[in-house]
Amino acid sequence: MTMISVSTDNFQPVATDSPVKVDIRNLDFFYGDFRALKNINLGLAQNRVTAFIGPSGCGKSTLLRVLNRMYDLYPGQRAAGDVLLDGRNILDPREDINLLRARVGMVFQKPTPFPMTIYDNISFGIKLYEKLPKSELDGRVEAALKGAALWKEVKDKLGASGLSLSGGQQQRLCIARTVAIRPEVILFDEPCSALDPISTAKIEELIDELKNQYTIAIVTHNMQQAARVSDFTAFMYLGDLIEFGETSRMFTSPEKRETQDYITGRFG
Amino acid sequence: MSEHTVKAYDAELDLIGAKIAEMGGIAEKMLVDAMDALGRLDIDLAQRVLMSDPRLDALQREIEDQVVRTIIRRQPMAIDLRELMASIHIAGDLERTGDLAKNIAKRAIKVADDPRVMRAVVGLKHMAEVAAMQLKDVLDAYAQRDIERAKAVWTRDADLDALEDSIFRDLLTFMMEDPRNISFCTHLLFCAKNLERVGDHATNIAEKVNFMVTGQSLPMNRPKGD
Repeated sequence: MTMISVSTDNFQPVATDSPVKVDIRNLDFFYGDFRALKNINLGLAQNRVTAFIGPSGCGKSTLLRVLNRMYDLYPGQRAAGDVLLDGRNILDPREDINLLRARVGMVFQKPTPFPMTIYDNISFGIKLYEKLPKSELDGRVEAALKGAALWKEVKDKLGASGLSLSGGQQQRLCIARTVAIRPEVILFDEPCSALDPISTAKIEELIDELKNQYTIAIVTHNMQQAARVSDFTAFMYLGDLIEFGETSRMFTSPEKRETQDYITGRFG
Repeated sequence: MSEHTVKAYDAELDLIGAKIAEMGGIAEKMLVDAMDALGRLDIDLAQRVLMSDPRLDALQREIEDQVVRTIIRRQPMAIDLRELMASIHIAGDLERTGDLAKNIAKRAIKVADDPRVMRAVVGLKHMAEVAAMQLKDVLDAYAQRDIERAKAVWTRDADLDALEDSIFRDLLTFMMEDPRNISFCTHLLFCAKNLERVGDHATNIAEKVNFMVTGQSLPMNRPKGD
């Protein structure tokens, strides 16, 4: 079993106690001719939260989109290198993308509920992958809504439109939709940037709970959020992975000058 | 260190640094003056030492308030966070150093009319010079972010411990020689203890300077002279 390696004072990688769920090796990514990711090597620790930080255009969202091959939807975009999910390369052209996206779920910056009922928002995804009797489906919907800490607020209006919920509730509905199909990895792309502080706190609390069951990667522009929710932090700049380490150290004593300049607001 | 994108952030940190420097200057002067007052039994000078202390206390509070406000406004990270944490600690150490100097000044006033053996003060003066040098060095180390200098202060504290031990023996001898010396020498014993404590605060500051610059802590076990 591979363990997560983080750099230390003398830049020697050391293994931590966390096994690697997603192992990114020599990853390059291209938008046409533009090389947006440059030889990224990084592991996502199982049942841990890994945060990606860096200025706009650094490649952090691109990296996230590689992890469930979201980029496949766009011609002209391609990845080179390996991304091993439990040891299997998901960049392999033969990989079943639908199955992959069931294993690696994604929550976006803006809440994106489907224009259907709250219940259907959750059951829709489950029905794509499984044929379940109604009673069992009800149970799964309830469990997903509970897992996303939304059940209490919506249990009496499951027939209402998902779009009738507040922004924070819509985001948790999207998380419920993601956990409903029982993924192994959840990717959060700036999940709180459109939310107020209370809704943000609820999502952060949720992420803290979700990591017991899932491996989580989160892209955030909010450094305090990265410091609060993540176990490991990766700082990226212009397509390079500059520094990767335990969050507690990254925000008190980063090793690289670029990391320090960025997190202290001295950039550029 | 390059500047923050937000210039007001730099101004806040600079202001805190300037206040620490001012505290350092006051504490140093109080210590030197208190020992001069004791050596010359100069009550006026001792009084002036006592009058400096409120300014030191006020500065400490100002620094604490400023640090809290900066934390609220900027949510500091990395070097900035370490600098602010160090500032609070260093301000506390300097305020305590001032208290110790004040205590020496008070004793100078008390012993002014006692029978006394002035040669008993010689060793203490030397110890005070070492303590003052430690304080000066560590304040320079802070101002210049010089960890080598900070580490040197940290290591040298053992000298002060050894000096205190030797002064203790000297004073004991004077007291045994003539019981009329006991009151005076007892005050000097407390002064020696105060100077030893000044050294401890200097080493505390050295540790904070090292942490502030490197993010690493010095070892738990410091060389001891006693």
